[in-house]
Amino acid sequence: MSNQSGSIYGLTILSPIQDELHLEISHSLAIRMYLQTLPIDGKGPFGKVSSTHMARLVVLDDVVYFGMPSCEEHLQSKYLIFESNFDGDLETYLKRLATEATEEVHSIWKHCVGYPGVTDVAAFIAYMKRCQVETTLYFADVNDKTVQQTLRALQTQSAVTSFIEKNQGKSPADLQKAFVEFSKHLGNTPPPKPGSIEGKEFTDKLL
Amino acid sequence: MSRLDVTDIQGFAMRGYNFPYARFLFLKFLEPEKGRQCLGRLIQHVTTGERWGQVKPKTTVNIAFTYKGLAALGLPEASLLSFPVEFVQGMKARASILGDTGKNSPHHWNPVWHEGVHAWLGVFAETSSDLRQRVSELHALLEEGRGAVVVDGQDAAALEIDGKITTKEHFGYTDGFGNPEFLGLEKDSQPGQGKLATDGKWTPLATGELLLEYADEAGELPVAPLPHLLACNGTFMVYRKLHQNVKTFRQYLKEKGGLYPGGTEKLASKFIGRWRDGTPVELSPDQPSPEIVQDPKQNVNFTYGKDLEGVRCPVGAHVRRTNPRDAFGFNGALVNRRRISRRGMPYGAYLPEDQPGNDDQEHGIVFMALNASIFRQFEFVQQQWIEYGNDARQGNDKDVLIGNHEGHGKFMIQGSSDALNPPFMCGALPNFVELRGGDYFFIPSITALRMIAAHSVDPR
Repeated sequence: MSNQSGSIYGLTILSPIQDELHLEISHSLAIRMYLQTLPIDGKGPFGKVSSTHMARLVVLDDVVYFGMPSCEEHLQSKYLIFESNFDGDLETYLKRLATEATEEVHSIWKHCVGYPGVTDVAAFIAYMKRCQVETTLYFADVNDKTVQQTLRALQTQSAVTSFIEKNQGKSPADLQKAFVEFSKHLGNTPPPKPGSIEGKEFTDKLL
Repeated sequence: MSRLDVTDIQGFAMRGYNFPYARFLFLKFLEPEKGRQCLGRLIQHVTTGERWGQVKPKTTVNIAFTYKGLAALGLPEASLLSFPVEFVQGMKARASILGDTGKNSPHHWNPVWHEGVHAWLGVFAETSSDLRQRVSELHALLEEGRGAVVVDGQDAAALEIDGKITTKEHFGYTDGFGNPEFLGLEKDSQPGQGKLATDGKWTPLATGELLLEYADEAGELPVAPLPHLLACNGTFMVYRKLHQNVKTFRQYLKEKGGLYPGGTEKLASKFIGRWRDGTPVELSPDQPSPEIVQDPKQNVNFTYGKDLEGVRCPVGAHVRRTNPRDAFGFNGALVNRRRISRRGMPYGAYLPEDQPGNDDQEHGIVFMALNASIFRQFEFVQQQWIEYGNDARQGNDKDVLIGNHEGHGKFMIQGSSDALNPPFMCGALPNFVELRGGDYFFIPSITALRMIAAHSVDPR
């Protein structure tokens, strides 16, 4: 595996988190607290950057010690792990993150070592690339289809299901008439916005 | 593995008795010491796993306990705390993860399940008079010295149709095929009953998928209570009283059967994956075959690997969802950890097929399933394969027959370009089956029963 799987890019970033003593709230705790405030209904940063299939942010504290016979090991710092599977190339995606989710990106990465800020987009992109490691595993459900294609396919599947149920058993002429109307209607209905709608609501909205 | 001591295992854990009559008594222990004395008197009546040979007994008796029951008998706290968490919580507390919501929620269960059942005493018999006699003897024994009170009872019996005892259930399907076989327990090995070997043959599942303290399919020991002797040769039972809405089912089948080009009976077969006489659809998709049903070498011996599109047996058919065999790939390895042994039995009178039937009378199935890990086996099947369809690539679709549809469910019959086997969609699915109560029980070995009765369980 590598960073590219068909048309999908797999991004893995490890950003060292600042370690300052004498702080009332450590940087890693501050990131966790901020992440908890992010909306989970599609209005979050990855709903805005709509080419994202799946993304996750994890604060990695240290190597977990499991007791004997394993040996005790430690990381040199805490890390912010950022994983994302998205459509298109890396530069475009990082630029979208910097410009379309500016506030969220800054609130998270400002706790990381060497972060140059987000206003200088080129510097941000260069920083993120420095933190990049190779992606070896993708989100299991990611295939070679874009977010738009996936949403469109789900919408079509759901609509066709309802169409069959409503129209099965009709005479060929009536069925054809209904199908022509249906496909026209489906063709004129835009696919749902990423993160805007639950799968099972497709049908209700469409038909 | 070591040879199983069948005299130490409760017979009900080892096999279905195939008796046509049963009564399940639900007990409460009022006081630990009297409860233990009562159990001590009961043990000699408990049927073990010993083979019967020529003479079949007229009745059998088995016993199982809820967590509350074991606590009421004064089991040491350190032993109680070592039981798996789902058993400690009981089925009612697990309602949300099992999808037992809406009409299936505990709110609609029979009152006894709100009172807290301590023990299940299962009595099976060859005739109804044998059953009556055995049950009244047991009542006397239980009530002696106020050891236990019978808080409720549930009758169950094979359905009698036209004066004949059958293996049908209320929707008209022949039931009771296909229980898994386990190493050391199988006797009359039937191809299709265990797990698939790489050469395509069927072999028994690891003993530890059913009995505690034996290696399971992963070579591990499932969570079991302490000490070893309390757990060994025991198993867990899931008891669910499943009410069947016979009228709703018949109406729905008739309505959709009228639209389905293959006809009503074929549609009925697509729901389950078996024709109503029991013929596996995978083996005979166009008509029932008495020859296959009666042949133990054939009636559970099939795979789905060559029918991944669901042309013969729909991908979402009940028997395929609940036992996908090789359908998920990896030669069935994902399925071998999710097998349960069913000991179900109908209750209520059969409503003649030529009548509309009704939903209100007491009729359904007492579903009893045995497994070593309720969490990994029964609860997984219930949550992921019955109330959700993703593993079977059926999205949010629930099991057509027993899913908690609440009027919104759908079931896709994949079919083919054959005019009599077209794709067909069943929408607006109602609840054909509703949950009326139940709980999680522990079926101890004979040794463990003696230890509990003697108050000698030592968890250290």
